[in-house]
Amino acid sequence: MSEGALPKDDAVLRVDDLQKSFGGLAATDHATFAVERGTITGLIGPNGAGKSTLFNLISGFYEPDGGTVEVNGTDVTGMEPYQVAEHGLIRTFQTPRKLEGMTVREAMLVGPRNQPGESFLRLFASPGSVGESESANLADAERILEEFEIDHLAAQPATDISGGQMKLVELARAMLAEPEVLLLDEPVAGVNPTLAKKLKSQIRRLNEQGTTFLLIEHDMEFVMDLADPIVVLDQGHVLTEGTPDGVRGDDRVIDAYLGGGA
Amino acid sequence: MSALTDPKGAIAELTRPEGWVLGVSVAFLLFLLAALLTGALGPTYFLFLVGLAGMYALLSFGLNAQWGFTGLINFSVAAFFGIGAYGSALMTASGSPIAGGFNPLVGLAVALVVALALALLIGIPTLRLRADYLAIASLGLAEVMRLIVLNERWLTNGSAGVRGIPGFFKGWPVLSTFPEAMPGLRLEIVPGSPIFLEASFWQALLNVLLVLAFAGGTYLVLRRAHRSPWGRVLRTIRSDEDLARALGKNTYSFKMQSFVLGSLIMALAGVFYTHLNLYVGPGDLDPITTFYAWVAVILGGSGSNRGALFGGVVIVTIREGTRFLNDVALPIDPAPLRLLLIGVVIVAVMRYRPQGILPPQRELIWPSAVDGGGAPETPDSGVRERKGGGGDE
Ligand SMILES: Nc1ncnc2c1ncn2[C@@H]1O[C@H](COP(=O)(O)OP(=O)(O)OP(=O)(O)O)[C@@H](O)[C@H]1O
Ligand SMILES: [Mg+2]
Repeated sequence: MSEGALPKDDAVLRVDDLQKSFGGLAATDHATFAVERGTITGLIGPNGAGKSTLFNLISGFYEPDGGTVEVNGTDVTGMEPYQVAEHGLIRTFQTPRKLEGMTVREAMLVGPRNQPGESFLRLFASPGSVGESESANLADAERILEEFEIDHLAAQPATDISGGQMKLVELARAMLAEPEVLLLDEPVAGVNPTLAKKLKSQIRRLNEQGTTFLLIEHDMEFVMDLADPIVVLDQGHVLTEGTPDGVRGDDRVIDAYLGGGA
Repeated sequence: MSALTDPKGAIAELTRPEGWVLGVSVAFLLFLLAALLTGALGPTYFLFLVGLAGMYALLSFGLNAQWGFTGLINFSVAAFFGIGAYGSALMTASGSPIAGGFNPLVGLAVALVVALALALLIGIPTLRLRADYLAIASLGLAEVMRLIVLNERWLTNGSAGVRGIPGFFKGWPVLSTFPEAMPGLRLEIVPGSPIFLEASFWQALLNVLLVLAFAGGTYLVLRRAHRSPWGRVLRTIRSDEDLARALGKNTYSFKMQSFVLGSLIMALAGVFYTHLNLYVGPGDLDPITTFYAWVAVILGGSGSNRGALFGGVVIVTIREGTRFLNDVALPIDPAPLRLLLIGVVIVAVMRYRPQGILPPQRELIWPSAVDGGGAPETPDSGVRERKGGGGDE
């Protein structure tokens, strides 16, 4: 079944024959696809199709029952999430994560990876280097908040902003981690159209600057406009993949969405 | 720094609970001073109380580094305290059933190494799992340690405890003979109520200096750590560990560091206690110590180092302040009454101020980064008031 595997050109993420069952339910059923570098790849499918499960498998939160995940040509199957992140893959969550007791600016500063100040010993051995990197990260954070037009939120408690703003902050923070490939789980769910438009243009801009995206989204207009190619997942396996127009015209996709299975 | 050069400005910057705590503390100090001057409170006993307050502050600091920073639930505060106490006692005491007679610095080192080993032993299997596992394992550890100390007589003298413990400064150049070398003094500040300062007073003064060094050093370390990127990862783990993992943080390692750090601080409290009390027994590992530490941290405000300090002082005040009840004829014993009082305090805090009296409320960013390129500030000076927010009451 892997004769259809994509040629090894420039995939930043490659999922091969991935499987995961919960009890008797195959949430991920021999899923195989690749995300080419520089693309915004969409991942769609009806509720319960296994999209979030796939994200959890890719990012190391779940251990697969079978199959492999490759990031940048490295087999990351079975690695801890932080190790997968170190290979350049960052993911967000379907439900926004709140950081109690932090301002938006502080919450942003969790983003950068491998900060000198994350080493306890360095706090005392070389506080100067900690200060330098913190200054640089703070400047980056403030710049990104400005680009996202949410700099006015910087001093707000991170728990006191709207759901849509939280999604923007999550995306902004993920960018501070400088991912090569960023996995977004429903970035515009519950986001008003104006904010959604803003998010769309931000994703497009970041993509032009070199970040590859894999995004799950139920908002068809949003995803069809932004993503190409699109991978369609149904009952844990890849139903089809192709251009937005190709996918839209595919009868199997329409069937899956209309609940043809039941 | 700024509080010294600009005291008015510093007071104006205080939030209401901070001002309140400051006011009560000043009033309390004046009260103690009056009691001292009139001879109602013996100066040696007073210094003993200060030492005890420092010890509880250390215990609270330790738990704060685990629960307050990272959200780790440790119910074996008493066990780590006991490791510190017994570790140093067994190394230094003349009445030690094993080694004994070593320099107290050796005792300190051994106590910390044993505490480190124990922290790793319990941390390695539990910190990869969900938070509840550490809670349960630590509960078990506390009981196991208590039973070992009680029953392994060849090691600990069992219920007889360990006697013949020297002061911490034994063997030091000047300090070891300092209490005896000092002359006895008789002060009469308030006419008619003289105060005597004898060798025991100077000994107690040394103990206070020791605990000030321990607690002060710990406070500075924790303060710097708390507002660093390291501390920020811990605070992220406390709120949402999965988020920290997704952002590339090795949360297991961070949790371990936080757990070990807190455990070492608790052991430090135990080491100090040994040289303060000059006797340790199995009762020192009773769960009440764990309970007190939790109360202090919750009361002060989880995550706040100042809060932990405050909570520690409150605990000693309640513990010792109710001693006079021993002399009063009461329908019930003072010990349960004391616990009842603490229970009431906790319920009141939970009801009216669930975040604690002095919760961390400033933006925690490495200071030199926030204050911009200007004056190079050390990470220990200058805090930045949280803007906006204003969610405080
Ligand atoms: N941790 C889990 N334990 C048991 N079953 C799970 C678990 N996670 C997911 N599932 C099941 O796996 C299937 C796929 O779930 P998943 O969350 O991946 O769907 P999804 O495509 O993200 O759906 P949605 O669009 O609604 O978010 C569902 O039937 C779900 O009930
Ligand atoms: Mg989902």
